[in-house]
Amino acid sequence: MVNLEEIKKEAKKILEEGKVKYIIGYAKSSNILMAAPVFIKKPEDVNKLIWNPTCFQNLVKFLLDEKRKKAREKEPDTRPVGIFVKGCDSRAINVLLQEKFITREDVYIMGISCEDLGVLDEKKIFKKLKDEKPEKIEFDQGKNIVISTKEKTIKIPLKEILAERCLECTSSFPVISDVFWGDRNNRSPKEPFKSLEQIESLSQEKKWDFWQQQLSKCIRCYACRSVCPMCYCDECVVDSINLAVTADTSAEEKAQKIKWIEKSPESSENFGYHLVRAMHLAGRCIDCSECERVCPVDIPLRLLNKKLEKVAKELFDYKAGLDPEQPSLVSSFKDEDPEDFIR
Amino acid sequence: MKKRTGVFVCHCGINIAGTVDVKNVAEDLAKHPDVVHSEDYVYMCSDPGQKLIENSIKEHNLDSVVVACCSPNLHETTFRNCAKAAGINEFQCEIANIREQCSWVHKDKLKATEKAKKITRSTVEHVVKNKSLEPISIPVTRRGLVIGGGIAGIQAALDMANSGYEVVLVEKSPSIGGHMIQLSETFPTLDCSQCILTPKMVDVSKHPKIKLLTYSEVQEISGYVGNFKAKILKKPTYVDPDKCTLCDKCLDVCPIVVPNEFDLGLTARKAIYIPFPQAIPATYTLDIANCPGLLPIACGKCIDVCEPGAIDYDMKPEMIEEEIGSIVLATGYDLYDKENMKEYGSGKYADVLDGLQFERLLSASGPTMGEVLRPSDHKVPKEVVFIQCVGSRDPELHCAYCSKICCMYTAKHAMLYKHHVPDGQAYVFYIDIRSGGKNYEEFVQRAKEEDGVVYLRGKVSKIFEENGKITVWGVDTLAGKDIEINADMVVLATAMRPAKGAEEFAKKLKVSLDKDGFLSEAHPKLRPVESVTAGLFFAGAAQAPKDIPEAVAQASGAAAKAIIILSQDHLFHSPMVAKVSLNLCSGCGMCVDVCPYDALSLKNNKAEVNEVLCEGCGTCSATCLRAAIEVKNITPGQIHEMIDASVGG
Repeated sequence: MVNLEEIKKEAKKILEEGKVKYIIGYAKSSNILMAAPVFIKKPEDVNKLIWNPTCFQNLVKFLLDEKRKKAREKEPDTRPVGIFVKGCDSRAINVLLQEKFITREDVYIMGISCEDLGVLDEKKIFKKLKDEKPEKIEFDQGKNIVISTKEKTIKIPLKEILAERCLECTSSFPVISDVFWGDRNNRSPKEPFKSLEQIESLSQEKKWDFWQQQLSKCIRCYACRSVCPMCYCDECVVDSINLAVTADTSAEEKAQKIKWIEKSPESSENFGYHLVRAMHLAGRCIDCSECERVCPVDIPLRLLNKKLEKVAKELFDYKAGLDPEQPSLVSSFKDEDPEDFIR
Repeated sequence: MKKRTGVFVCHCGINIAGTVDVKNVAEDLAKHPDVVHSEDYVYMCSDPGQKLIENSIKEHNLDSVVVACCSPNLHETTFRNCAKAAGINEFQCEIANIREQCSWVHKDKLKATEKAKKITRSTVEHVVKNKSLEPISIPVTRRGLVIGGGIAGIQAALDMANSGYEVVLVEKSPSIGGHMIQLSETFPTLDCSQCILTPKMVDVSKHPKIKLLTYSEVQEISGYVGNFKAKILKKPTYVDPDKCTLCDKCLDVCPIVVPNEFDLGLTARKAIYIPFPQAIPATYTLDIANCPGLLPIACGKCIDVCEPGAIDYDMKPEMIEEEIGSIVLATGYDLYDKENMKEYGSGKYADVLDGLQFERLLSASGPTMGEVLRPSDHKVPKEVVFIQCVGSRDPELHCAYCSKICCMYTAKHAMLYKHHVPDGQAYVFYIDIRSGGKNYEEFVQRAKEEDGVVYLRGKVSKIFEENGKITVWGVDTLAGKDIEINADMVVLATAMRPAKGAEEFAKKLKVSLDKDGFLSEAHPKLRPVESVTAGLFFAGAAQAPKDIPEAVAQASGAAAKAIIILSQDHLFHSPMVAKVSLNLCSGCGMCVDVCPYDALSLKNNKAEVNEVLCEGCGTCSATCLRAAIEVKNITPGQIHEMIDASVGG
């Protein structure tokens, strides 16, 4: 069992020693079903830290902001940033290391194992509560969640309201860390790609209809892009206006910018956006499912990424983020790579 | 600024005009806002055709040109030179391929014409955004490298050296000579192989321009055409050739006996050995793989008896670096292993030989001093069966291709056997006889008619040993009956394979191989000795099965190609190379990983292009998630416009 007091003790110690600039962790928020990211700079603030299944955000996204901030500073504080990661989040760090976006010295990785659990899925809870507002939650011996509303108190086994990705998770503990809490037991879910079953069973036309319907809902708020730790391009294909202009951007370069995808949320343009995003995440997505969670119109974006994850696994035995030294999926070639899909 | 583009549509006789309404294409393109002149002509590549383009450029003050014709592989240079002659930058000329990609693959004239318009229009969109570029100039290291010291490598090295260029010749075994030095006599003239090869080998060893590195292997080639760097590992022979007097005393004391590879295991050699008497360089080699150890405590017998003190156990492998302008690859062949032939006993019968073993038996310097004797009991074989196409022309189980030389050498084997054993009988099983070549057919006929070799058209199903004889079960398809021969000896004409280790070596050099593992040439007809890598040429059986005259001819061809590079002070490289937008590059290094030419590297966490190495293939551009790298004159902006022109109206 992960002991929160030990976590706080370590956090306090490294802040006092000045080992890290600050710590990115989880704290209570106004929404009792969701922890809030917290940035702790002072040792006395470590009591704000929490660790429970409401800590579902992937905090790695904040490392991208940190890198940009550091680049702007004249004399940046070069100490690492402490960051709490779950198994999935830790693999995001590995991908960033693999892509040389951050260096190992930039981070002090505080890994917490999800052990045999995971994080919860708000939407699943709301379904169970039938729109009643939760007032108080408690975790009963790490097995159940006890939710009290105005009317009643219900006890739900955690397994029933865990996020889909946790049910399909194969490594529930951080694969890279400087300090570590919990166990390192590998999981072997019987069906690691079960969530794809339904969509894969559909005919080509039905699949098209499904995505046509789903993607036509997109309002192009780009929440999926904003939350994704892998979406760190300075300029995105969908908004060339946001061109990263620097002193050495020539007029010609600006003039050469092409609008590959229109900004308007039309179905065809939405397809363009989401498919480019999915392809750019192939071999990089670590299935934190944040994109799907933050989507205000409930597009099942995780399915796209999961499908690519499955293809990469089956064709190239590739899984993203296992090791910062592994060659990236799209830029590596092995002689035994299958070629039979090339026609 | 608006461009002034000219469009020139070629008929290519009826090659294009037969399927595409070329006049209509020219008229349609004239309507394009950037096109100020458009016309068609029957053969644009002809002299009057080129003149027409030149005159139009001057007359209409054109600044860019699109020629709608055949593949840019064929006439891009022609028309770019033509544009240059007319005073515009050659990179303002682009080719719209309306032949290979349109007229040749379509039948419907209306549709083909529409497609030709789209192709040409998209090329106009391409050229209007082209920038004027200047070729990149690179100095040349005027030295050659030849890899492989068989007949092809020897010939290439001699030709290059005789043209006045320094050549480094690298051979992995202790002596040059390759397989040709193992042969007895050569078809169709039956001159002694060693007698005609050894003078060339001596020439190599004495040539002031040739640096011979035997017992050496090329480990790495870096750099680019005109400026390669080769890392060559010289393995220690543990014998100083300058001190060694070839007294043979070490041979007498060496306790280790291993099969002699020069005689293909028909004889044995010691761990310290000279491959054959005429070896170049003439010196001993201590085969460390078989020697019990270099410590005097382990054996040390050879060092004790060596009076001139030529043996040096402390000799170390040496890494030699050479700067090179062009390279000839002549890594040769090996025979398909008899062990692959289950139906023929998988190499377990002593009297079933392969072609090279039989060459050694026939050779005057061979294990039997030129007498044909059975390896098992040293008796003269009275009935010998020769089997052709062993492993060749068998796509289901073995090699699909024809090994080309076996028809001829089998005829030679049978003939020479009859000369050695006049009262013996030779049988040849064949699928059919391929004897194309000067005096080749006559040679085969001579074997049949004058030497009485019995040719049986059919395959052999099984070979097995029985009562001291080799029983051969086959079929004579012409007579339509099964045949059983109780032979004394069987000779298999096994297939030619690329030399062992050639595959790994090709990977190291990033040379592509064909499906059978032979070196794959840049164009099967027009660039048969060139690789796709500039400055790297092929010679000999490493590229495809071939006989001695062909290997020699190709070697001279490869040498001439290599000399083309060495004879110039400077080479020019296409300026259509990758360019990095530093503000977009995040330094992930994926482009570095995918670049097939090693042209990219990371510098200060940003990608950097070595323009001389870059071939402008665009793999980096396609891989970059951040669109931070593009190829000059084929930028995403241009591609976007081209797609638009192709799919739109």
